This record gives sequence, C-alpha cells and structure tokens, in this order.
Amino acid sequence: MSAGDAAPGRRAARPDTRARRQLALMLTPYLIGLVGLVMVPALVTLGMSVTDYDLLRPPTWAGLDNFAALLDDPIFRVALLNSVVFALVAVPLRVLLALGLALLLHRRAAGVGTARTAALLPTAVPEIAYGLLWLWLFNPLYGPINQLLRVGGENGLTAFGRTPPQWLTDPTSARAGIILMSLFTMGETFVVLLAARRALPRDVYEMAAIEDATGWDVFRRITLPLLAPVLALLAVRDAVASLHFTFVPAFVVTDGGPPPYATTYLSLFVYQTGFEYLRYGYAAAATLVMMLLTVAAVLVQWRLIRRYRRFYQL
Amino acid sequence: MSEGLVLDGVSAAYRDATVLHEVDLTVARGELLVVLGPSGAGKSTVLRVVAGLEPVTAGRVRIADRDVTDERPGRRNVSMVFQSYALFPHLTVVENIAFGLEVRDTPRRVARERARAAAETVGCAGLLDRRPGQLSGGERQRVALARALVREPDVFLLDEPLSNLDLALRAEMRTELRALHDRLGATMVHVTHDQTEALVLADRIAVLRDGRVEQVGTPDEIWRTPASSFVARFVGSPAMNLLPADGPLRPRGDAPTLGEEPLEIGFRPEAVTLDAAEGTPATVDRVEVIGEDAFAYLRLAAGHQVVARVPAARRPERDATVRLDVRWADTHLFHAATGRRYQL
Amino acid sequence: MTIVRIRSLSALAVSALLALTGCGSGGGSASGDPVRLLVFGAPEELGAYRTLAEAYQQARTGERIQLIEASDRKDLLARLATSVAGGAPPDLFLMNYRFYGQFAAKGVVEPLDERIAASSVLDPADYYPVAMEAFRWGGAQLCLPQNVSSLAVYYNRTLFTRYGVPEPTAGWTWNDLVSTATLMTRDDRGLVIKGTEAEGAARLPAVHGLGVEPSIIRLAPLVWSNGGEIVDDPDRPTRLTLDSPAAREALRNLIDLRQAYGVVPSDAEVEAEDDESRFLNGRLAMLMTSRRATTNFRTITGFEWDVAPLPVYRQPVGVLHSDAYCMTRGSRNKDAAWRFMEYAMGEEGQRIIAATGRTVPSHMGVSRSPAFLDPDQPPRNSQVFLDAIPTVRALPTVSTWPEIEDLSYGILENAVHRGDKIDDVIRELDVKSRPMFARGENG
Repeated sequence: MSAGDAAPGRRAARPDTRARRQLALMLTPYLIGLVGLVMVPALVTLGMSVTDYDLLRPPTWAGLDNFAALLDDPIFRVALLNSVVFALVAVPLRVLLALGLALLLHRRAAGVGTARTAALLPTAVPEIAYGLLWLWLFNPLYGPINQLLRVGGENGLTAFGRTPPQWLTDPTSARAGIILMSLFTMGETFVVLLAARRALPRDVYEMAAIEDATGWDVFRRITLPLLAPVLALLAVRDAVASLHFTFVPAFVVTDGGPPPYATTYLSLFVYQTGFEYLRYGYAAAATLVMMLLTVAAVLVQWRLIRRYRRFYQL
Repeated sequence: MSEGLVLDGVSAAYRDATVLHEVDLTVARGELLVVLGPSGAGKSTVLRVVAGLEPVTAGRVRIADRDVTDERPGRRNVSMVFQSYALFPHLTVVENIAFGLEVRDTPRRVARERARAAAETVGCAGLLDRRPGQLSGGERQRVALARALVREPDVFLLDEPLSNLDLALRAEMRTELRALHDRLGATMVHVTHDQTEALVLADRIAVLRDGRVEQVGTPDEIWRTPASSFVARFVGSPAMNLLPADGPLRPRGDAPTLGEEPLEIGFRPEAVTLDAAEGTPATVDRVEVIGEDAFAYLRLAAGHQVVARVPAARRPERDATVRLDVRWADTHLFHAATGRRYQL
Repeated sequence: MTIVRIRSLSALAVSALLALTGCGSGGGSASGDPVRLLVFGAPEELGAYRTLAEAYQQARTGERIQLIEASDRKDLLARLATSVAGGAPPDLFLMNYRFYGQFAAKGVVEPLDERIAASSVLDPADYYPVAMEAFRWGGAQLCLPQNVSSLAVYYNRTLFTRYGVPEPTAGWTWNDLVSTATLMTRDDRGLVIKGTEAEGAARLPAVHGLGVEPSIIRLAPLVWSNGGEIVDDPDRPTRLTLDSPAAREALRNLIDLRQAYGVVPSDAEVEAEDDESRFLNGRLAMLMTSRRATTNFRTITGFEWDVAPLPVYRQPVGVLHSDAYCMTRGSRNKDAAWRFMEYAMGEEGQRIIAATGRTVPSHMGVSRSPAFLDPDQPPRNSQVFLDAIPTVRALPTVSTWPEIEDLSYGILENAVHRGDKIDDVIRELDVKSRPMFARGENG
C-alpha cells in the first residue's frame, strides 16, 4: 500500500520501519546467496577440515591431524610460498599497469575508446580459452613470443645471443609467465581506476595547470594521493583474488609445473588434493588456511579504510 | 594608463559552437572589472581564455603588456579562484596555499612563510593545519583567495567566488573583497551573474550576452545609460519595464522628437507614479510586499504589463484600477528591432 | 544421523564448488532412464565409444546409452567422486586399473561375480587372465577389462628406409634401441647429429630418434626386464625400490637417452610439440607408447609406420595397459547397465572398439580375428601386442597410486631433462612416496 494509507503522526516510526522492511526485502536475495554460497560452505569446510573424508565413505574424526600434516607437507609449503610470492609480485604490477592505463586513457581523444576496449578485452575472455591462448603464446619453439624474441638472432637465440625464456620448462620463467598472463586481466581494476580518475574534480587539475605544476608534480602531489585510498583497496582486493585467479593458468597452462611444483599455488593444491586424490578433509584444511589469508587481507583493508577516513576527517 | 589585461578580438569555441564572438576588453592595471551576464553568456569562458585553460580560435590575449596567447596556463602569471574553490582535499590549508610556490621550486620554508602571510591577509590564519573537509564554505573561500594572492600574479581571475555562500556571508565577503582589492591594488577580473555584486564591487562592468560584449562601463553608466534593452533589463530588480513607444502609455512632460522607426520606452519600477490625476488606467494583477516596499504588477490595455514600486503603506488593492504615470526624464528609448539605445 | 547430515552438507558444498569450477555432474537418474557411461579420451576415442553406443542401441531396441564425456583422466576422477558423493553417480565408468584402486577400496564399485556367473553371454575364460586379474579386488571381480594393451615401439618406416637404418626387430636389446635412436637423430640436412649439443650453439635436430615419457609406467617394464622391481611388494607395496642395481641401471639408461645421447627431444621441444604430434608430423623416428596411439596414427598419410616390441634387457617383459567397465554401487539402473556391459565385452562390442584401432581386445577370440589383425590397416605388425601378452605384468593398484604417479612424473621429468643426480632422484622418489604408500589401501 502507499504512503497515503498511513495515518500521519500517529506512529512516527512507521515510514522508517517500512523503509527498513523494504531494505531487508531487497537484501534478501543477497543474504540467501551469502548464506547458501559462502557461509554454509565455509562452515562445511571448517567441519571437513577436522575429518578424514574422501567423499565416498562417511567422514571420520581427525582432529587437528590435517593441520599438523599440512605443516609437514613440503608440497603445501611450496604452494603457500608460491601463492604469497605471486601476490607480492603480481598484485603491485597489475595495479600499476591498471593505473598507468587509466591515467593514459581517461581523456577523450581519438582512439581512446578502442584502446579502453583493448585493455578490457582479455578480462572478458573466458578463463580456459585465455589459458589455452597463452599455452600457444608461450610455446618455446613455435610460440609467437619466442619467435619475436628470436628475431635478429641465430640458431634459436635472441639478438643478444641469449636463449629465449623457456616459459613452460624453467621454473622461474614459468612463474614469470603466470604473472605475465595475469597482468592482462587487470581490466576490472583498470575500469575502477578509470572511473576514479574521471571522478576527480577537473578544476583541481586546472588549478595545477595555472600553477605550472609539471606532469610529475601533478601525479605525485595530486593524482596519487587522491587515488591512494582506491589504489589501496584495489590492491587488497586483488591480493585476495590472486589466491583464486592463479588457478586456471596453473591448471591449464603449466599444470602446476615445471616439476616439481614451480607453479603449484594454493588453489591448485586444494583442487588436486580434493578432486584428484579425494582427500577432501586435507583439502578443506588447506582451504581454511587460504581463508585465513583472505581474512588477514580483509582486516588490512578495513584498517586502511579507517585510517583513510580519519585522515580526511570524513 | 598601462594595461593589465587586453582581449583583442578574442573568439573561442566549445566543440563546434562558438561561445565567444570577437570579444574586445581592456582592463587597466589595478582595475577591478566585473564580467556580468546570465548563465551561458560566456563569462567563465572569458576567464578560462585569459588563464589559458581554453584556446582562442581568433584574437590575442595580452597580460601586463605581454602577448600570452600562445603561452601555457602556468606561464601567464595569473591566479584563479574557482567557483568550487578547487582546494586539494588531501592537503592542509597551509599546503594548499603554498602549493603554487612549492611546485615552482620555492624553498619550503619560504613558501610556508608566505602562505601564512597570505592567510593573514584574508583572515584565515587560524585554519592553517586543517583540511578542506573541515572548513565551512566561507572559510574555504578565504583559503582559495589566499592561495590566489600568495604568488603576486599579474591578474586575479575570480569565477563566481561568492555564489556558493549564503546571502549574509556573500554581502560580507563582497565588502571584504572590494577592500582587499583596494589594499592590494591588483588587476582583477571578477565573473558573476549577480547584478548587485557587480554594481557594488566593480570599477567597471562588462555585460556579456551570448558571447558578445553588450556594454562596458562604470556601474553608474550601466545603471543610468544602459546601451541596450538587454542591459537595461538585466541590471535592476525587478527588471525595467519595456513598452512600445506608441503603446498605451504616454509619458508626461516634453516629448523628444522621435524618428519613424519603431521604438520601445523603458522605465524602472521606481519611476512609476500611481494615482496620478490623468495617468493611464491599469488593473492591479497582484502585489508583492518586501518590507517597506511593495511591487505592484499592473495590466494595461492590450495586455501590457508594468511593475511599479510603491511604499508598502500606500500599496493598491488587488484588482483595483489605478492610474499610472511616468516622466519622460525617467525613460530610456531603445530601437525595437535591435534593442540598442536610441540616441537622441 | 549426524553423519548423514554432514554428507549432505558436504555434497552441497561440493556442488557449490563444482558450480564455481565449472565442472558439474550429470543430473539425477531413475530406472527407465538411459544407462549413463562416464568416459574420457581424445576426440577419436570418444568417437569410438559413440560408435559402440549407437551400435548397441541399434542392436537392442529400447536400450539407451548416454555418454558422459570427461575432458581427461583427472576430470573423470573428479566427476566420478563428486557424483558419487552427490548421490547421483553414473551407472558405468571406464577406468584404468592403475586408478581404480581408490574407488575399489572405498566400496564405490559393484562386484560382478554373481552377474558373471549368471550370464549366458559372458564367459570369463574368453578373456586374457592378466587383464581380468588386474581388476580383482579383495577376491572379487569388480570391473571387466575391455582391452589388454601394452607398451610397444612405434616407428616411422619411411624414415628408416630413407636413412638406411635397419628396422627394430623382436628380441632387440636396449643397446640396439640406443644405437638405432642415435642413428635416427638427424638435422635438417639429414646428417646424424647429437641432440645434446642442441642448447645454445649447434643446430637443432630435425628428427629425434626416440620419444619416451619419463614416467613410472614407461620405466617399470624396463626395470622388470632387467630383473628389478618397482615396489617392494606388488600386492601390498610400502615403497618404491628403484635403489636395486637392476632398477638403477634401467633408470640410468632412461636418463641417458636425453642426458648422454640426446636422442629424445628436450623439455622445451616436448612443450613445443608433444611426442605424439612429433611422430605424426614425421619428426620422430620411434615412439614408445601403448596401443592407444594407433587410432591417431591411422590418420597419417605422409609416411609408412609400423610397430615393434619393447627392447629387452634380460627377459622380455611388458607392462599392462588395461581399461575396464566398472559399475557403480550407487547405480539405479544396474540391470540395464549390465546388459550394456555384456554387449561391450562380447564379440560384437569388442570388434567395434577394436576396429577403431584403439585397443587390443581383451576377448581372446576377437584379438586373434581380423578385427584386430586386419592386414590392410596399419600397423602391419599388430601381432606384437598379442605376443607381448604372456609377458605383461600389472602395476600396483594401491589406492594412492595416482598420487604416486604424479609425484614420480615430476621427479623423473627433472631427472631426464635437468640431469639431476641419480642417487638424489631415487632418494627423493622413495622419501616422498612413502607417506603416500602408507595412506594407501590394497585389494
């Protein structure tokens, strides 16, 4: 019914209650999703992590055995280290690339629309297809990347007489390759930064122009500090996401290798342990470690927001 | 008289639309010129062209005897106060004021010292360590002013700096701005759509209409001898009455000799006398009372409307019939076709 | 009660996970529905199963088979496990004996002894015992093997003729293999070249002498042939025993193919073009692989090829490659599933699959028939596979064997391509696989 039905003044709380009820109604689908797709699986994971469970027979109580075994598991330690190193290297690079592109492409100019689309496109490619594409790009002998690197060189060497990177067989090159792959999927970060940059007041930049600030001054003294909170949030978000988006590249392109476990990240470890070796309890314990990392990242994010709000007295 | 700022036949365009048409303007050194006009008249564009934020499509811009048409904004030695103030939200007040000095490589200590002095000049010395988010509108406005004057530019450009303030504060800042100008003796161009502000502040006023300068003159000239019916109606509130010269109202006194072409007569609401013995009859449509004054909206024969200002105590009733009268001495004559002033 | 709840909750979690990873399982099933058969394989193998299913539906009106095609072996395992947990398993699945242990141990597979005994169509004596034996678990026949393949050496006859090198023959030794491979490793001018110089300086080989995967299933028959063992106890293995002199020598020789002789492609070359494609493209003289490759190789038109037996150390030994039809305990359509199994295992079904070239039929009669030995279809020397059957041995079926294979593959790959020290390789294999054996269950 409409607002006209409410007797005015009789119950002052009435419109407020209705607004709340509407709010609750609108939140319901999200809450159902949150509970069904996040909370319940998280609790189940917690439950599974203290059991031995192979999906086929009923789980048996294992206490903290799974966690103790994780500590001793060299593969898990490598996977954890790989994931952390990936986040530390790839996340700043991704955010910087997105920032650079956003700053280059936020103005209206000829070709900017095309360039923005190009920057976004890799993110829109289905992950598996994207992985297969890179499998071709990385082909050590016939792939276009190494063909290009060999231009001007002889006997399969680069123009500088060096062997081109062995993307899929050398551990360091493979890790670099996965990072390289991940760089081009920063489209979302790029869009957010593009919007953030375009939301910055134009007159502030005109002010700087009148004061004859150089491009570097403008970037350092204006753009960077104004975008800093967004950048920090994006970086944390990206770090959390990096736990997941390493999965498909490692699964499709490197299969966790080169041997033994150069690109086995936590996500792939969990997948293999659970789905391939049917050790669901153990995989759940590893997932829990991943969730703890996520929680830690979210705490950092929360602190950043708080500090930002205090800083600007918002 | 040396020139502070000269626009010489300046045109400017936004996308495909021309927004300034061969504007000529000269501002003497130390003069405060107010650019007045309705929104969309190109007032801000004038400022932006002077600052170099918009390119000219024709004409030259000279600042302090120097042709700056092809210079970038930073090389023109102007300061600008934006309508929004354009303060850097992440910098403190003192950092905001010192910004222009610091990016020009003034040593930090010197820059801070001068920022402090500038803040004192405009009366915001107590706010130095705050951030824009913590300031009131008036305080922000002062900070923006301090930032503009910390650097001793050749021209100050003020883009509707008072429009975001409430009425009382606006009046106060208006006075302060005028005092500041007198103290500094700086060349200023002040853009506003508020005719009162223009009349109070200006040494001279340039009235802009559709990208063309309609009239340039002292506030007195603008008020007493408007160059066109547009200026006449834009300055003054309520606007000047305009009627066909051969219309229902014949002013009293010695009529000037008029030519053949159609003319309009204009007279301000103050010039109207009601209840004259032999005036033109009119019906009172409505009456607005503002304190001691009242404005009577009258309808003449053939539907013409006239506003008259009368003392509130002697205001007519609604629907009453009155007789109104105007003296020839209080009227202005304009060409009906062009709106230009008819030269007697 | 509690257990039931945990199971259903985890099924929910798993299906959520599946939705996220994009590999959902099939829907529910009730009797009257088609028999759902879970398989994986290359496109031409899937084609073979489709042919089989169609032939069955033609022959028996009213019967329906629905193929569920997984992308690879690991995808098949994941689908099988999650669909079992979700309570809607496929009725049948096709699986190698090396990987069925984990399902056998966990009671997912329906024992077939009673049905076999009651069947008027199926006689266990018609099938090669070594394959049947591989699918016995705890004394029960769990699955029925459709094939009894083994490792052989495919070779490019045209290349051998061109370079005047004698073709491999039965009874050839490891040394014969190495010298043949060395003679067949050529540069683009057709000159013999040493592949170890490939990195950096000299010319790359245009043709490699041999392709062999550095995996435990390739290594095992070589170790056995040399008188060694892969594990301490084939029935209840607790560790890998590659430290015996015989096993060590076989491993050393496998590594030397790359490290000393350079007759197998380098890791970069394998990544650029896998061995099977390399053989197809005429750039590999010999390829050590199972019967499976035949379907693919029959598309070759540019050259002639044939197949030779494995080289011998002391005595000829082969390694069993065998896939079987298994019925899930949770199937709701067991009788219909069994009828399809009878058909697929019977002469007609075996002939259809054999005609694709993919398998060495486990049905003895069919394996000796033209369906398999058809002289008009390459390889001419298919008899090699039949001759190998009396000597083939099976790998352990311990439930953690897939993990052990994955682990050993990584270590062996590094050994072959990076030249890790052989003592370290053997120790690493042993140390890292022990906990996996310890977790394993045996039939």
